[in-house]
Amino acid sequence: MLTRLLKASVLTSFAFFSLNATQFDVQAQKDKKELVKYFEAKFQDPYKNKNTFFPYSPEEELKDGYEKGLKHMDFGIGSYSYAKDAKEQYEAIKEFPPYEDKIEDGEELYTKEFANGNSLKTCFPDPTIGGDYPYFDTNRKEVISLTTAINECLESNNEKKWNAKKGKMATFQAFLAYSTAEAQKKMNIKIPTKEAQEAYERGKEYYYTQRGYLKLSCATCHIQGAGQRVRNEKLSPLLGQITHFPVYRLKWGGLGTLERRMSGCVKDQGQVPPKNDSKQMHELLYFMAYMSNDMPIDGPDVRK
Amino acid sequence: MNKLLNISLVSIITIVFGACASSSSPSLSSVKDIDVEKVCSVENNGIEKVIQTAKKYNEIAKKNELEFRRLGVNNTDLIISVEEAIKTGAKEVNPKDFKGKASKTKLPVEFGAIRACKFAISALTQANEAKTTWRLAVPGDGYEY
Repeated sequence: MLTRLLKASVLTSFAFFSLNATQFDVQAQKDKKELVKYFEAKFQDPYKNKNTFFPYSPEEELKDGYEKGLKHMDFGIGSYSYAKDAKEQYEAIKEFPPYEDKIEDGEELYTKEFANGNSLKTCFPDPTIGGDYPYFDTNRKEVISLTTAINECLESNNEKKWNAKKGKMATFQAFLAYSTAEAQKKMNIKIPTKEAQEAYERGKEYYYTQRGYLKLSCATCHIQGAGQRVRNEKLSPLLGQITHFPVYRLKWGGLGTLERRMSGCVKDQGQVPPKNDSKQMHELLYFMAYMSNDMPIDGPDVRK
Repeated sequence: MNKLLNISLVSIITIVFGACASSSSPSLSSVKDIDVEKVCSVENNGIEKVIQTAKKYNEIAKKNELEFRRLGVNNTDLIISVEEAIKTGAKEVNPKDFKGKASKTKLPVEFGAIRACKFAISALTQANEAKTTWRLAVPGDGYEY
């Protein structure tokens, strides 16, 4: 009798806790579902849906320049999923990816011993973790990005922090992204607690808030504006926007981290960008990463 | 009885100090009813007052991580350059960029003051507005298509 009672209580508590654990991402799941629905509708047929989604685009361009009938996972390659001309150029560049040697350099950094005999491998025994960051640390009650985790590893081993935007940081992350992609892993962001849910909501608010002297939000360009042409480039969609980082950007002439790209975006809105290891930056990335949940990691990659 | 008196005294002091602190350091919502054209007019207020207004609100913008940056120039650096020009009597400002190097921005001093003032206040007013408008851009929430 006592054993049965004990079993029943254990089962009840397990059910209670697992129910609670899933409750925190209900809104985030809904947001993601709506986002996928929006992008699938937008790129079902850009020419046919001109009045709804592309009122200012030339008809000829909508007729011939866009792919049609895109589904959720197609957006993994960003604007190259719908911009026909850009995709051709992208595929040509990918024949000899300019970041290839960086993956090997990143692997060397992974195993290179610190002065105390440890290495990055000590902190990250599994290099296929690209899809698990940023994560919500339930003990510290804050979001931790991959860049911050790497720098904390270095500092805890009495090594100097790396530049969060490029150089060794981007090179090492290229190796992690490549290892994760090779293991065919996907974005796997969790919202385990109420605090995590609040962090997600703050990140979401940041993404949708108009800011800077140009009064633009991230969403202005990458949701409502996704697919629209600015000069000669079509804007990328939020969906799948961070599955391929770090990227070799032609404008940079080298590899850069997600933080580097995000700072550039906020700067383009006309505001001083948040610091790389700030709460704002972490929570913004947390929201963006959740929106790409279940999409395959395909970094490092190349962008214009 | 003494304990009760002590508690009351501490409470009163806390309330008084709190009220003083909140009235001396304006908050994000303190710009709600500001007429930006009026307070940032050099013609009506004089350049020194306009740049003081810019400085006051830019501090709040900085505190809330909302400071504007245009072509590499933070609003703080624009304010500094205007203040220096007022001291030296220069007609034009060339503010430093966020890296501390000379920027490509060159503006008449008065225009620099007006811009710095408008940038400082707008950063706050649009953040206030956004608290109620940001959901209008969320698919499945305020954004309909």
